[in-house]
Amino acid sequence: MRLYPLLFLLLLVAGVLAVLVGSGDLADPELRDTFLKLRGYRLAAAFLAGAALAVGGVVVQGLFRNPLASPSVLGTTAGASFGGQVALLAYGVAGVGNAFVVPEMIVPIGCFLGALTALAVLLLFLRITQDLLALLLTGFVLSALFLSLSAFVTSMAQETWELGRAVVSFSLGSVSGTGPRQLAFALPLIGAALVACWAWGRPLDLLLSGEEEAQSLGANVGAVRWWSAIWVSVLVAGAVSVGGNVGFVGLVVPHMLRPFAGTKHQRLIPAAALAGGIFLVACDIIARVIPSRSEIPLGVVTGLIGAPLFLLLLIRLRRERAYA
Amino acid sequence: MRNGDGHAGLRARGVGVTLGGRPVLHDVDLEANPGEVLALLGPNGAGKSTLLKALAGLLPHEGRIEIDDVDVASLSPRARAKRISYVPQRSLLRSALSVEEVVALGRYVHGGSFGGMSKNDRDAIDHALDTAHADVLRDRIFTQLSVGEQQRVLLARALASDAPILLLDEPTASLDVGEGMAVLRLIRTLAERNHTLIVVLHDLADARSTTDRALLLKDGRVAEQGDTAVVVSADPIRAVYGVKLIENARIGFEPDPEGTGPE
Repeated sequence: MRLYPLLFLLLLVAGVLAVLVGSGDLADPELRDTFLKLRGYRLAAAFLAGAALAVGGVVVQGLFRNPLASPSVLGTTAGASFGGQVALLAYGVAGVGNAFVVPEMIVPIGCFLGALTALAVLLLFLRITQDLLALLLTGFVLSALFLSLSAFVTSMAQETWELGRAVVSFSLGSVSGTGPRQLAFALPLIGAALVACWAWGRPLDLLLSGEEEAQSLGANVGAVRWWSAIWVSVLVAGAVSVGGNVGFVGLVVPHMLRPFAGTKHQRLIPAAALAGGIFLVACDIIARVIPSRSEIPLGVVTGLIGAPLFLLLLIRLRRERAYA
Repeated sequence: MRNGDGHAGLRARGVGVTLGGRPVLHDVDLEANPGEVLALLGPNGAGKSTLLKALAGLLPHEGRIEIDDVDVASLSPRARAKRISYVPQRSLLRSALSVEEVVALGRYVHGGSFGGMSKNDRDAIDHALDTAHADVLRDRIFTQLSVGEQQRVLLARALASDAPILLLDEPTASLDVGEGMAVLRLIRTLAERNHTLIVVLHDLADARSTTDRALLLKDGRVAEQGDTAVVVSADPIRAVYGVKLIENARIGFEPDPEGTGPE
């Protein structure tokens, strides 16, 4: 298989560039260690977030049998982002923090709670109906709700300049401020959820044929959906907590990979984790090298690359599938 | 349990199905035995496919469905799928899985979620592809196959599960005469290997040529049940379809030993 050597080579190149490229001067012996450390954290954060979002995309696309679905369809991204913003606001305004709670920790906790809230609503709704369209629509409604709540939080945060800046930069998506405590929190979460998604690969394959066929082939469809939704939420919460609200990774990476890695989940998921990580590290390097007064937010770079690429894929997909 | 060595028969008592508040199936009793092909016949909307799905455990239903005296409702999805394999008329699969990967889905009932295929799995897949004459399609992409080829692959997927009971929903629909004949011959082969087969058929002549017993449905109720030669005869057919049955009226086909197909 030539895919993995290529991915590891790309990872190596991206990793080296991510350490070497940036605004700081590595020649300065006093600052070199600090710069390297910061860039290392940044590299780890971008890789983790990218891996989580790409695999989240793969799982959601299988779950809804729709290659154009993404974790944001479930409203989980918006929920996690809102949770993170509320956590920032609460920390800044009410001074939640004490000796045991630091801002690096409270944001991931907020993201996690936000994602879980979005998920809980979805799962409660699933008990009323298992209808796939109803689920999708509930996801859209949740997404819209969390986005408007986020706008409210952002407007509240404008009262203090520093806080407003923090909330806005968080919602745009950034890995520049990610520190070791955030990583320590996100790494086990994302790692466990990645393994869980891989382990659920075979029942996810069955779901590609639709509910009825999956059931006839022995899948417990309700359980597969429930657990997959939980793993996706954990992935998204982890990704948002270290990288902010970064879009398009979960849509673009699986599409780019399928021609090489196929559709089978247990083959696609590890490749998507690697490729997603590489993609976001590369986007972060681009964010650093484009000259601008301040650094370009990561979410803007993924959007600029992702949106046209996604449109191209959409056109190709429509050509391939006359019925789509 | 390869080749239907399980010898499991299926029995249904008082099966009724209500879809969207509308009763579509009433009080159906039936029995299917190993080595036997049971045809489900009837006009469009009579409830043939609904009955088949209920038997496969895919629809909520009244009454009791048993496999060798075990209530199907008490089985987990996996345990049920180990005993009953359901072949839909068309697959809803739209993703680019290869034929081998599609057939491998049938092995899910035997493996854990983790890891790859065991030697047992690979043997069962090879055997199923071989039996369904789908071996040459192995590396093709499922969605790019013809309807007839897809049907053979779906049969192979069902066979790969090693389930002794096979439920087929109009397996010859939208196939050409050669493809259809190949599928019907395969159904007979599977019965000879002691599988229990229940097959929804549209074509009464196919039912006469391929099945041992038949169940004729009208408006969700059993109109006639028994040997196919008795069920597909003048009186029941007139009563259910409102047409006159004429023996030997149609042109017939048989495989040409020197021809190119069907297999």
